[in-house]
Amino acid sequence: MRIAMTNVSAVLALVTTLLLLIVVPGGAQPAGTLVVGLVAEPVNLDPAQVTDLNSNRVGRRVVETLVTFPDESTQIVPGLAESWTVSKDGLHYVFKLRKSVTFHDGTPLNAEAVKFSIERQINPEHPAAKIGKYPFANYFFGNVKAVEVLDPLTVEFVLKEPRASFLAVLTAGAASIVSPTAVRKHGADYPSNPVGTGPFKFVSWERGQKVVLEKNASYWRSPVKIERVIYRPIVEDQARLTELLTGAIDLIVSPPPDYVAQLESSGKVTMLKQVGAHVWYLGINNQKKPFDDKRVRQALNYAVNKDAIVRDVLKGTGTLSAGPVLPKTWGADSGLKAYPYDPERAKKLLAEAGYPSGFTTTLWVPESGSGMQAPVAMSTVIQSNLKAVGVNVQLQTMEWGAYLAKLRTKEQDLFALSWMAGNEDPDMVMYPLLHSSQWTPNGPNRALYKNDKFDELLHQARLTTDEKKRAELYRQAQRILIDDAPWIFVDHEIQTAAHAKRVQGFKLHPSFDLRVETISLK
Amino acid sequence: MRRYLARRLLLLVPVLAGVSIVIFLVLHLSPGDPAEIMLGSQATKEDLTRLREQMGLNAPLPVQYVHWISQVLRGDLGRSLWMKRPVLPEVLQRLKATLLLTATALVLSTVVGLALGVASAAWPRSLLDRCSAAASLFGASMPSFWLGIVLMVVFALWLGWLPASGMFAPYGGGGAGDLLAHLVLPAVTLAAASVTIVARLTRSTMLEALGQDYIRTARAKGVTEGWVVLRHGLKNALIPIVTVIGVQAGYLLGGAVLTETVFAWPGVGTLMVQGILARDFPLVQGCVLVVALSFALINLGVDLLYAWLDPRIRYE
Repeated sequence: MRIAMTNVSAVLALVTTLLLLIVVPGGAQPAGTLVVGLVAEPVNLDPAQVTDLNSNRVGRRVVETLVTFPDESTQIVPGLAESWTVSKDGLHYVFKLRKSVTFHDGTPLNAEAVKFSIERQINPEHPAAKIGKYPFANYFFGNVKAVEVLDPLTVEFVLKEPRASFLAVLTAGAASIVSPTAVRKHGADYPSNPVGTGPFKFVSWERGQKVVLEKNASYWRSPVKIERVIYRPIVEDQARLTELLTGAIDLIVSPPPDYVAQLESSGKVTMLKQVGAHVWYLGINNQKKPFDDKRVRQALNYAVNKDAIVRDVLKGTGTLSAGPVLPKTWGADSGLKAYPYDPERAKKLLAEAGYPSGFTTTLWVPESGSGMQAPVAMSTVIQSNLKAVGVNVQLQTMEWGAYLAKLRTKEQDLFALSWMAGNEDPDMVMYPLLHSSQWTPNGPNRALYKNDKFDELLHQARLTTDEKKRAELYRQAQRILIDDAPWIFVDHEIQTAAHAKRVQGFKLHPSFDLRVETISLK
Repeated sequence: MRRYLARRLLLLVPVLAGVSIVIFLVLHLSPGDPAEIMLGSQATKEDLTRLREQMGLNAPLPVQYVHWISQVLRGDLGRSLWMKRPVLPEVLQRLKATLLLTATALVLSTVVGLALGVASAAWPRSLLDRCSAAASLFGASMPSFWLGIVLMVVFALWLGWLPASGMFAPYGGGGAGDLLAHLVLPAVTLAAASVTIVARLTRSTMLEALGQDYIRTARAKGVTEGWVVLRHGLKNALIPIVTVIGVQAGYLLGGAVLTETVFAWPGVGTLMVQGILARDFPLVQGCVLVVALSFALINLGVDLLYAWLDPRIRYE
């Protein structure tokens, strides 16, 4: 018996000693190295080939676009192009490139590179067309007829139809200018070896562990103040949060809403919030009875308590929306008021429309999805709000992919959806979601909304290059929209991030980009 | 013996073929389409059609299966739809991390489980036995993701003794000590449920063995109690325990999916979750196939171990 006892104790002692030996102090990172915790691993570092936020947030540190946004807004400013002119008919965009900008591999940025970067996506005969899949080529560049090199530093885009938001299109990740030499060299492996002109150079990618970028010492815009940035994918919220609080990670985005208040009051980290160019709406099938009656759609808008959703479900990670356009941007109508919560008014409107005792309908909801915030919880609140005015709603939750496919059947009554335009140009949200030429299944207008006057205003705005005149057209369009109420307008997402105190100068960007190049470390 | 081994290895073929068909069907018949998920709400019909065509998703299912399996037979697991990289090197690279985690958890659950079980059987109904029973109940009932988070909060957040996630420190790490520190929490989390199963089984088979005549004989001959318990009792109780440990190896490989996700461990599990969320068919199929093959090989190893433990067992 004594021997057995000694054996057990020996094993326990060994285990304890091992545990004590390997205990390491949770440590801060070395000077100059910023560690970012991502919610998922990037899948591909060529922004022309990706559709997810995490890949874009990393990939766009390496490559840049002709036109871009300043650090605090989504107004368009010069990027790799120092200036541009637009022809009177709105069909020719000529860009003058910056002199002596080089890619990280030493090759020069020139008009050929611009032509190469775009044409590989839209011309099936292009030598680099086969090496990747460009999922949004048609969405962004379907309207591009040709890209012409006028001289080494001048490039011209010829459009098929005028589209005043074309500059906004050129801020998208898909419009990034890549090094043709690198694409030819790496072929199908280019997305794992990206080369651009951006503030950081790609160094390494250990799958499942980290992506390492190093500063571009000769960055044309301004000196980068950190040596390197390391991105770590950490799916589990608690793990990401723990890593931040123990100092192993400097910056995380989207901490779980339940922790936001706790983090805000914590002295250890700084919490940031920023409204993003996003809209969450409850679509209504405008062609289907009883929703083809404007009074019914307005009633639904009055019936939903959006304040409660933003406060209690989203815990302040959303701001009330009065329409699809981001408030306080050039195209927004500052006079626009969100539908107030007024169940009595809703009942009255329903009675006027011939539904004094309400009706029964279905609401399709995805379980999750890009930009969907908390779809099921939000829809449940909406369901109970609508029940209070006599509208019995059956919730049907679906997997994201299956849900999107089902919306193309046009059988929807009500459906929860969101849109991340990534920039503030009203055309990038209103046209695809609400113009009648974009009805599903060909486009994303899944509410099947159609109003001739509204369509005409949007079309006119596309033909108008003067921003002031465009803004006025969009304001008129928004007023029509509010009255027509094709959706229940719910919220614009407020992005959140938390960072260690040593991180200085970081701002969240309304486009959802993660611009770590603005950071310096204390 | 050699013939037995050859037959068992041959049997792997129908097993893996079955696994491949099941996983292919489960993935392709469950709702969700990779093109749809990839393009999201901004998709136009043309973009969707084009992407489906490029990904080969328009062909009938049997055609897709035959295409895939003929690739697999040539040692090519295809290319990931999302990452656009070949699946096999991706999975093999991640498999190292999973095997390390699983093996550590297996050693941990075997050593601790055996020790607890033997001690409980040597002193039945003692305080140690009762504590071990209570701990077993706790270990078996706690879901690993919950236990993982609790351990993380206590040992990483409150005490600051261990890193919370990952396999190495992001910068300047990479040594054995760094790896070991990162391994502790996920390994303990993964091992918890298995420890209790091994401990309870060891206790009951040991109690049975210790009641045998040869034990009484050994004691009567004046053999020390420790020698009786370990040499005569444990050795004879080992066969069912080894069987269970073999099965546990499979559970640990599967359970690693959750534990890896909680601790951001860069193994096959996290890769598989990423693949499932994106409906990345080739990636998930590749992961499952490799894990199933590992499991089948472990089982074969366990079967071969019997002969070594009990020389009376012969293979034909």
